[in-house]
Amino acid sequence: MLTRTDTEHCYHCGEVVPPGTSFSAVIGGESRPMCCPGCQAVARLIAGSGLESFYRLRTELNETAPPLPGENLFLAYDKPENCSDFVTGIEGSRVRAQLLLGGISCAACTWLIEKALGAHPGVSHANVNLSQQALTVEFDRAQLPVSELFQRLLALGYDPHPWQLSEGARLIGQEQRAALRELAVAGLAMMQVGMFGIALHAGDIQGIALEYRGLMRWVSLLIASVVVAYSARGFFRNAWNNLRHGRLVMDLPVALAIGLAYLASAWATVLNTGEVYFDSIAMFTFFLLLGRYMERQVRHREFLRQTDLQSLLPVASLRKDGDGWQTVPTRSISAGDVVLLRAGDTIPADGVLLDGGGAVDEAAFTGEHLPRSVAPGEQLSAGTVLRDGGGSLRVDCDAASSRLAAMLSMLSRGGDKPALARLADRVAARFVGAVLVIAAGVAAYWWHADSSRALWITLSVLVVSCPCALALATPAALTAATAQLRRRGLLLVGEDSLEALLRCRRVVFDKTGTLTRGELRRRETRTGGNTDEATALALAAALELRGRHPIAQAFSDITPVTGLEDVEVVPGRGIRARLNAQAVAIGSPAFVAETCPALPPAPTDPGHWVALASDRELLAWFALDDTLRTDAGDTVTALKARGLGVELLTGDPSDAGPRLVRELGLDAARIGASPEQKLDHIHQLQAAGTPVAMVGDGLNDAPVLAAADCAFAVNQATDLAKSQADAILLGHSLAPLDEAFAMAGRCRRIIRQNMAWALSYNALAVPLAAAGWIPPWAAAVGMSASSLLVVLNSLRLRHR
Amino acid sequence: MDSLYILIPIAVVFCAVAIKLLLWAIDSGQYDDLDKEAWRILMDDDEAQPREGSDRD
Repeated sequence: MLTRTDTEHCYHCGEVVPPGTSFSAVIGGESRPMCCPGCQAVARLIAGSGLESFYRLRTELNETAPPLPGENLFLAYDKPENCSDFVTGIEGSRVRAQLLLGGISCAACTWLIEKALGAHPGVSHANVNLSQQALTVEFDRAQLPVSELFQRLLALGYDPHPWQLSEGARLIGQEQRAALRELAVAGLAMMQVGMFGIALHAGDIQGIALEYRGLMRWVSLLIASVVVAYSARGFFRNAWNNLRHGRLVMDLPVALAIGLAYLASAWATVLNTGEVYFDSIAMFTFFLLLGRYMERQVRHREFLRQTDLQSLLPVASLRKDGDGWQTVPTRSISAGDVVLLRAGDTIPADGVLLDGGGAVDEAAFTGEHLPRSVAPGEQLSAGTVLRDGGGSLRVDCDAASSRLAAMLSMLSRGGDKPALARLADRVAARFVGAVLVIAAGVAAYWWHADSSRALWITLSVLVVSCPCALALATPAALTAATAQLRRRGLLLVGEDSLEALLRCRRVVFDKTGTLTRGELRRRETRTGGNTDEATALALAAALELRGRHPIAQAFSDITPVTGLEDVEVVPGRGIRARLNAQAVAIGSPAFVAETCPALPPAPTDPGHWVALASDRELLAWFALDDTLRTDAGDTVTALKARGLGVELLTGDPSDAGPRLVRELGLDAARIGASPEQKLDHIHQLQAAGTPVAMVGDGLNDAPVLAAADCAFAVNQATDLAKSQADAILLGHSLAPLDEAFAMAGRCRRIIRQNMAWALSYNALAVPLAAAGWIPPWAAAVGMSASSLLVVLNSLRLRHR
Repeated sequence: MDSLYILIPIAVVFCAVAIKLLLWAIDSGQYDDLDKEAWRILMDDDEAQPREGSDRD
């Protein structure tokens, strides 16, 4: 475990500053430590533009900034035809662009982005929407090319993506506004009707002239008509649509209560007799709409981030045209083209490597974090990343038939979640039946006993049994639980995720990037006898300084020696150089043996062994491992203590999987599974009657996440994985997982208490109403008080 | 008490105007981002120049 006192944390992103580095930026007159060149560049840019009060305003730490690419990757966007789907013309060269931004953590980010962009003379208007994490910017493309706009956002540490205004996203925006309109009308109407309601109830108690009672009833009727016809129409529509298909949902008693209370009150107003319930109608509608609005707000935010094939591929690629290379948009590449690959590129299409070579990171498909060395003639897949090396690729199929596209289409196959009957709807079905039976009985009895009172007493039974508290019982508790979990670092997206979580008996973890951080770390150093460890490490660090391979990261915390000459990086294999007229090499055993023929065989212990040798002798063996998340062990232990099975499901075929099983005490493991096999495994578990919660991060996990009963994505997950998840971990920690299970249990308890209260209130009130003993003011107060009790009870979830 | 016959309709008209204004504000996008607006009051517009050693947290 880390102790916070003796390690420095990056002022920008809060990560631990690796010892031996000296990145810093002057902020607020003081030099602040930085963890990497990326954060340093961003912090210096912010301070240098006079925007450093950003650091005072922010409430969350920033994400770690990746180093800026040496060249502008967005040049293809400068041609208008390449960006027509997110840049629209206003007049002349003035345009409006819509972008989604990654890395926005709090309101101060929106301030920073708006200020920094607004300072450019070409920008006339910039607005960041924090809920949607979207930027709308109006600018002159003659003064500020589109690629330059992207580059500026990147330099501030945010990750811009074109926002393709899909039909779905547009509809959601409209839906959200329509919901807010209904809520606004219901809210203002509730205040008006409530005002008259107080006068009418007071009149019932102390007496009121019939003339004024009539006036207030008529005005209330007018306003309540607007509420019922406009704000409450969604309940009627939903209840009717479900009823037609034979389903009894919670909206049915809600619609019945609103409709009947309204009709009875209107009837009483016209005939100037009986009771009116206009205030209860307006208040009930408003509270229900408010709960639904807040519930929807959370879900819609993530919907906008849904990924399509295009956003997983690079914007532009270099295609061979005659003798030269030309930058073209990736989407215009088709089978038969030859494209140039350079180190760091995402491979734009499936194809065969013609020449060159290097190391390809195929984590997207295999979950294996160590790149694979490739040589000419080998097949490469779109969406994988060339870590080092380079070459040219002959494209052999269109984007639509690539392996990546096939994986995306698996989403629709895996995407049907097990149907979950919601507790509220199950209760609603019985409730509606019971109320209707009781009302019929009451009507029959009074018809014989006193036919003049039969109608009014039957109506009062229906109104008093108004399921206000019952309808609020579930959404109020879920909203409170969602808010509390969000503060603890877990964003719930799925509607039913908490209920689904309670059923899960097994938690399945992906390995790389989920249980581990997806970064290599030195586990062990074995020196060759004539060297000490510090010298070997310093030399290794100096050699790896030039590498772009993930192995280089494992040495980034060491101060390198100086004086290396003739450094040669051999893609996918290793690095060699000369130090004091002596040849040295680091890399795979086979590669190092070329420099040092006397190299002994690699240790047989598990792990990834890297050799360091001079031309005469072995200097050291380094065993590298993926870093386990600091709280992975605690989380697994806590989950097992809840009686859950914890399992590993990974695409990585190496022995790292079994070792992890032993280290963490996992119950089972499936090693080296392809994305298809992963999906099958989840289906098998489900077929055996075990509901499954899945935790994952990668592209290859997305179909599995979609199929699991409840899916979690870690914060660093790909957008695609996030879009399939029911919940997203917001920090670096796995601990909120366990809290989610605890919260789901507490939430269910609260929902049950709420329902018990609502049902017993009805059990008490209905007989009294059936006997004709409940005056309307008592019914109104009772209904409001029981709803309020439910809301207050739910708020208890926010404590502790 | 006859004044009620004037005052109540006036109140209803006010309510209608308030609803109209609110709907206009919603349609013009002023409620699209409820997360940011709460913070905006804390963010000054006129801090273009770095201040000397004044901010420490």
